[in-house]
Amino acid sequence: MSASDDQTDVERVLAGDISAFEGIVRRWQGPLVNLAYRFCRDRGRAEEMAQEAFLRAYRALGQWRKDAVFSTWLFALATNLYRSELRRIPARIVSVSLEDIAEPADARASDGGLEDHDRDLAVRRAVGALPAKYREALILFYFHDMDVTTAARSLGLPEGTVKARLFRGREILRSKLPQLLAVPRLKEA
Amino acid sequence: MTRLSGHDEGEISRILSREEEILPSSGFAISVMDAVRREAAAPPPIPFPWKRALPGLVVGGFALALVFLTLVVAIAQLLRASTSAHFSMSLPSVLTPIFGLGLQRNLEIAASWTVLALLVAFVSVKLSMRLASGRV
Repeated sequence: MSASDDQTDVERVLAGDISAFEGIVRRWQGPLVNLAYRFCRDRGRAEEMAQEAFLRAYRALGQWRKDAVFSTWLFALATNLYRSELRRIPARIVSVSLEDIAEPADARASDGGLEDHDRDLAVRRAVGALPAKYREALILFYFHDMDVTTAARSLGLPEGTVKARLFRGREILRSKLPQLLAVPRLKEA
Repeated sequence: MTRLSGHDEGEISRILSREEEILPSSGFAISVMDAVRREAAAPPPIPFPWKRALPGLVVGGFALALVFLTLVVAIAQLLRASTSAHFSMSLPSVLTPIFGLGLQRNLEIAASWTVLALLVAFVSVKLSMRLASGRV
């Protein structure tokens, strides 16, 4: 994905060539849908939210100042929309209370280790049940390959705030999932 | 051979980094472009008619200011009356025009307020109708 491709397409759209927006959609549809999916855990809703994000980006294209990379601007816009959408209608996974996040029913496999799938599911459910500010920081941090700077830009927050929220979010997760995380996981080397 | 997994935090990071990627459905880009074209074809939003609304806004603002001023004066008079030594023996000065005068005078005051209220209502209705019909 080249930044100059984005810039060229944006300039064409602003000059009246709407079809140039398709290049932007094709380049960024995967990341935007995946980011939405991490927020709502619902494929259909993720596509609806991503579509709305593209529409908003189209409307606000003239407001993109070229001092920031297009993708940074696009992710910040999408993140803002996803956050407000989730505040309006919470995702089903988010509406589960942290207290209700149970250990997996069959937490230990026959060899004494935990089933990967169950463990992953429990951790993701626990992330979904975190208070919004910690959940959003964790989602953005891992979405952007653990880059705090990019996550902070997407959230429109100072890096220090994001770091503090990540720390606190992980602390809550650790306190809610002690058994799950403390048990050593046996893995074939 | 077996090995132990790392620390809690590493474990959380490992799980959250190993997020499954989903692919947008095949028609997603087309559906977005359809929505964008509809958006582009839609007529621009009608701007708020400031020019037409201005007289109404001015009158409304004036009326609000008048009500506020009247309230402030009334409260000030009430406070002054309550601090006076004769408060318990006589009516507060703000209420004197209503209860202290004769019935005829009271009716005159009430009638004049009613006429004023009707006049304001009439003006606002006329103004709204003119705004709606676009004749301002």
